[in-house]
Amino acid sequence: MRETLRTEMQEVFRDVFGDPGIEIRDAMTAEDVDGWDSLMHINLIVAIERRFGIKFATAEISGLKGDDQNIGTFLDLVAGKIGPR
Amino acid sequence: MSVASLEFLVCLWIAAALFFHLPPGWPRRAVLAIGNLAFIGLLIPNAASAVALALFLLAGYFAGLLLQARPRGATLAVYLTVLVASFIVVQKYSFLAWLGLGQAAAHSISIVGLSYILFRQIHFAVDAMQGQIARPSLWAYVNYQLNLFALLAGPIQRYQEFEKYWKAPEPAVSDRHEVLQAHLRVLIGVIKIAAFGAVLLFGRDKLWGQLLDIAKDPHFSSRLSALARFAVVFYAYPAYVYFNFSGYCDIVIGGASLLGQRLPENFDRPYLSRNMIDFWTRWHRTLGFWIRDYLFMPMYKLAAEKTPRHAASLAFLCYFVAFLLAGIWHGTTSNYAVFGALHGAGASATKIWERILVRRGGRAGLRRYLESRPVRWIAIVATGHFVCFSMIFFSADLRECVPVLRMVGTALVPWSGAW
Repeated sequence: MRETLRTEMQEVFRDVFGDPGIEIRDAMTAEDVDGWDSLMHINLIVAIERRFGIKFATAEISGLKGDDQNIGTFLDLVAGKIGPR
Repeated sequence: MSVASLEFLVCLWIAAALFFHLPPGWPRRAVLAIGNLAFIGLLIPNAASAVALALFLLAGYFAGLLLQARPRGATLAVYLTVLVASFIVVQKYSFLAWLGLGQAAAHSISIVGLSYILFRQIHFAVDAMQGQIARPSLWAYVNYQLNLFALLAGPIQRYQEFEKYWKAPEPAVSDRHEVLQAHLRVLIGVIKIAAFGAVLLFGRDKLWGQLLDIAKDPHFSSRLSALARFAVVFYAYPAYVYFNFSGYCDIVIGGASLLGQRLPENFDRPYLSRNMIDFWTRWHRTLGFWIRDYLFMPMYKLAAEKTPRHAASLAFLCYFVAFLLAGIWHGTTSNYAVFGALHGAGASATKIWERILVRRGGRAGLRRYLESRPVRWIAIVATGHFVCFSMIFFSADLRECVPVLRMVGTALVPWSGAW
């Protein structure tokens, strides 16, 4: 389930950042993805909301760029929102 | 009461010495609540202001509960409209007179810290509606809003952070060294305000008065002397604002930590910023993050959802509007709108320049640009001077800024006949 989600998220990342070579791992942070600034962060959020039919709260969106956050916590948040599929 | 006053510091030291000898839980919360109420009580000038403050707080809390129970965008929009309109009237914004609503500002209400209460109200309402705040109590909410360590000028703490502390006030500094560090930070804050800030403001005010006289009649001074005075003011005022505000933050963050509160940091070497977006992640950081989360993000997200093709272009407008509104929030007169417009233009220009660089050299080109040491220093110096220029409009009304700037412009032109 988590690997399927990772693959789907990876597709969204590749699409948003225009880089077909992006491979996302749990430990990766925004610093590790070239061009992941405030604007791209929101573009990414909008794309993920569309892809999975979910909505992020303002506090969640800003929280995702916090010091203790990474792709793993991002995946957990998305997984929690879409529930078991 | 100033946080750098002896009365405040003595109360803080007594509270810090005794606070954690109290049993955990409600006795500590009761002491904090008494402190908050006493502090606001000293700052409220009359009964009308106390009633207005109570209405603001109650409306904010119950709006949050309503939005939590029935999360509807229309309800939030109505609440925010009423909230902002009330804020404008209570703060007596000068444009009310232009709109023929001058009568609305004819009142005796004055609420210290209302600007920051407004930000916390908006955050609380939005987060409550989006399910990010769980079952807030009125008592916790009132103390969050009136928290004496963040009442006057921030930092803008989020309710979720305050609630964690409020539920169980425990020591935030774990050993003697950290306690001493916190006291030292308070002391440094007092020195920044009472020594550096006070001297800089004294000098700036004196020279600004002279510049106003020279603007009226250039014969008061030589061209070079006028420019020298302006140069001192140009750098002294931003330095004063930094020492005064970061000193205030040192006192409240250090003082709050002695009572177990971890307030968010508000400064990170702001005059080393390389552009205006960077500046707002280093200067008054909690305001910068608030602007990002509650002004810029909703606007840009709406643009990205509705018109994805034009979102990148609309981003520049979103930056401009967000910082313009933040500028207007800073004060009730038109000079603050100019200050906000300059910062908005600076933030938009940052993103436009970044886009140009990416188009020219791709992401790799942008990386090389950002890694270049000479470029970095040029950017820091340019940003610092842009901030200093914008601060002219933060320091005085347009009736003063415009003639002084016009005089300086004339003095810079060698063939000007004014001298």
